[in-house]
Parts: sequence; C-alpha cells; structure tokens
Amino acid sequence: MPQKSVLIPWRPVTSVVLLLLVWELAARAKLTPPLFLPPFSVVADQLCRSIADGSLTNDLALSLARAFGGLLVGTATGVACGLVMSRSRFAEWLIDPFVALGFPAPKIAFLPIFILWFGIGSSSKILLVAFACIFPVVIGTYNAARSVGRLFVWSALSLGSNRRSIFFHVILPACYPRIFTTFRIAVPVALITTFTAEMVAGGGGMGATLIYSQRFFESPTVFAYIVVMMCVGLVLDSALLSFQRRFLGWAEN
Amino acid sequence: MLIRPEAVSAGAARLIGRMSPLVLFIALWYGACSSGLVNSEFLPTPTKVAAALADLVSGGEIARNLFVTLFRAAVGLALGSICGIWIGLMMARSERFKAYVTPIVGGTYSLPKSALIPLFALWFGIGNVTAIAAVFLACLLPMIVNTYHGVVTTPKVLVWSAQALGTTDRELPSQVLLRSAMPDIFTGLRIALGFSFVLAISTEMIASTSGIGKLIFLYGENGTYDYMFAAIACIVAVAFVADRVTLLGMHRLLRWHESAAADYERRRL
Repeated sequence: MPQKSVLIPWRPVTSVVLLLLVWELAARAKLTPPLFLPPFSVVADQLCRSIADGSLTNDLALSLARAFGGLLVGTATGVACGLVMSRSRFAEWLIDPFVALGFPAPKIAFLPIFILWFGIGSSSKILLVAFACIFPVVIGTYNAARSVGRLFVWSALSLGSNRRSIFFHVILPACYPRIFTTFRIAVPVALITTFTAEMVAGGGGMGATLIYSQRFFESPTVFAYIVVMMCVGLVLDSALLSFQRRFLGWAEN
Repeated sequence: MLIRPEAVSAGAARLIGRMSPLVLFIALWYGACSSGLVNSEFLPTPTKVAAALADLVSGGEIARNLFVTLFRAAVGLALGSICGIWIGLMMARSERFKAYVTPIVGGTYSLPKSALIPLFALWFGIGNVTAIAAVFLACLLPMIVNTYHGVVTTPKVLVWSAQALGTTDRELPSQVLLRSAMPDIFTGLRIALGFSFVLAISTEMIASTSGIGKLIFLYGENGTYDYMFAAIACIVAVAFVADRVTLLGMHRLLRWHESAAADYERRRL
C-alpha cells in the first residue's frame, strides 16, 4: 500500500491535462474567436497579472469576508433556532412554517428586498448570505438534536444531571458532527449567494469584477476569475473535510 | 383508497394549526406598517401587496414571466437529470471511466455555478440558451453524485440474484441498479430542483430580458415595491409547491421502499 500512494494517479491527471491541452489547441487553432475562448496560457498569464497588481486578492478578500460573515451569522442563528425548536414545542410550532416555506424558496429572489433595506454595500450581501444559509442549518440542527440517543440522556439523568447540564454536556456535543455536516453544506451556498449577489448588485468583489469583465469583453479575466472561484470552492471543501476527519472522526457512521 | 370526511377535516385542522404562525406574521407586518413603526416606503402594507398580487395575476404578467422561468428551469432540470443519471451510472459501473471523470466532476461540483453565467452570456447571448445551460450544469452535478452513490451501494445480493435469474449485463441497469438507486436519485432530484429555480432566477437577474427574476429586479429598480414583494411571494409559493409535489411523487413511486415512508412522515406538511 505505501508504494501505491507514492505513485501518481495517472488517470485523473491525464483527463485534466487532456482537457487543458484541448482547450489550448482549440483556442490556438482559432476554432472559436479568442473572445469566446482565450487560450489557457493567456488565461494563466492574466491570472498572474491580476494577482500581481493586487486586484484579484482584494476582490477575493472582500468576497470571502462577505461569504464568511454571512455564514457566521446564518449558522449561529440557525443552530440556535434548531436547538430551541428541538427543546420547545411552542418554538417548533412558531418557526416550523417559516422553515417549510423558506427552505425550498430561491433565496436570490429576495436580493432586491435586501438591497432596499440595507443598501448596495456589504451589509445587504452578508445578510442575504445569512438568510440563504439559515434554512439548511436549522433543519440539520433540529434533526440532529431530535435524534440524540435516549440512552445518553437516560444515562446522564441516572447519574444525576439536571436538564441544563444534559443540554450542554450531552445533547449539544452529540449534535456537533451533524451541525458540522450542515455547515459543510452551507459553505458552497454562501459562496454561490455572495458571487451571485455581487454580480447582480455590484459593489466590488469577485462577482462584480467578473460581470464587468464580461461586459467589457475581457475574456481572459472572466476565465481567470472562474478558475479562482473553482479553486476556492475546492480548497474550502477539502479543508472542511480534513477538519471533519481530524476532529469529528469519532462520529463516523 | 377511501378518504373519510373526518380524516379530511382533521387534516385541515392540523394544517390550519400549523400555518397559523404565518397569519400571525402577516398581522404583525400589518400592525408595524399601519402604526408607522416602519417606513411604508420600505415595507408596503400586506393589503397593498395583496392588491398588487391580484393585479399581477389577473393581468397575466405573472403567468407570462413565470411560464418563461419555469420553462427554462424545467428544460435544464430534465437535461441535467438525464445526463447526470447516465454519468453517475457509468462512473459506478466502470472503474476506468470514474478515474478519468472524477477530477472534472469534483472541480465542477465545487464551482459556484452562477460564476458561469457571464461566460454563458458571452457564448450564447442573452436569452433561453444561457439560462438553460446554467440550470443544466447546476442540476447535473447533484444528479451525478447521488446516482453514483445509489448505484454503488446497491446490495450485491440483488445483483447476484438477478444474474442467477438470467439478467444480462445490458439489462442490469434498468432492471436492478437504477431501481435500487431510486431513493438516492430522488434525493438528487430534489436538490437539483432547488438549484434549477435559483439558477434560472439568477440568470434572469444578470442576463435576460424576461422571466420572473427580471420582473422582480425591474420592479425593484422602478421603486414599485408592492409589486416586487408580490412577485417574490409568487416565486416562493411556486418553489414550495414544486418541492412538495416532488416529495409527494417520491413517496408515491417509492412506496415499496421503507426510507421514503419515514422521510415523508417526518417532513409532512
């Protein structure tokens, strides 16, 4: 086994290299106008230049700050709502119809309302991201808290815990892995919502620059930004996955 | 199946009980508006929104734009599902195909699909094709991942039994694999359905001249906020109904599968 892991997995590498090669050759052979498909080398060059002059880094930092700000607000509120719903019938009755209605709704449709209330700056985007993230988190947390094994609760009770300490020392820790799973679902939602909101409403960030570049037909920049967005998604997801394996491995089912 | 009247009335009572917080919410909204607690410039009263909604519905404005949006979402969803199921099945059946495709699927999976809207607008111009392409790609990925998972986790016993009874390799997907993967495929379909609405509306807001997303955006820019709220309420209602219909269809088609019954019971209206 150790010998095999050293070997480069040639099939996946082949398909990626092949894809890039076809892209480069198709563009170089002028199969399509360079406006539609600039060669990969030109895109890579543009990528380096955008990084060098700091525009890409600024946009990325702004977008990530918005995405994570919204993610934080949405996750905190969502976890609180989900836990309260799982403990109180009244809260469940009160919140449930909003979750049922809000969960399948396309949240981006609410963007004009958020712009109306909170302006076109960062706050409207952060709150829209929070609004988009909150529903899956509420549902995930609620289901997690509801399915905590009775045996744990009974054991704690027989060992003399009161309701308060059962909540903080039994139910909450038992929910951590599934709350983290919903957090992993919420991260791409936050990214998509941030980028889309920036594309529609402007105000700086990856999405805004992407749409401006498209309007001014700067195709290499469009492609460079898309490549960066893809890498951000990949890196974040694999980071979260390794965090989950490292710290929440005990909950592996 | 016989439906007893008392069961219907009990169901209706439960529905009213469940939905009463929404009524409470609208009452609060009305109170906040009429007492001058919030500026009515920023939040039109529910009565104004209802009037706008009635006007939009009777004037055919909603129906026309909704049809455009739903058409784009449905075509993208259908194409994405068919291709996604096929790719997922192929990945599960051929180790080699999987090895080649995995990096591309993985990369596209984590790409925020709305990032491609400007690119598609560049390639296909402004209109149906751009929207359908964006919806297609967004629906494709969850279908691939869920179909793959469903087919891979098919119990070996089922495959062996089918083979022992003379099922050929060609018949295996339609007779055993896809049927056994049905619950996962439906899970993917439900996710894809949500994506299809989001992408169709996003595309309309960014690069389109028609559709409900454009309508909402136009009302927002013109400052006719009562109409904007009415149009948003419409799309929320449509997305909710579409999700419930999918859930209901899932329950119907997966009656034989124990997970579906439990799932339906838990998330019941």
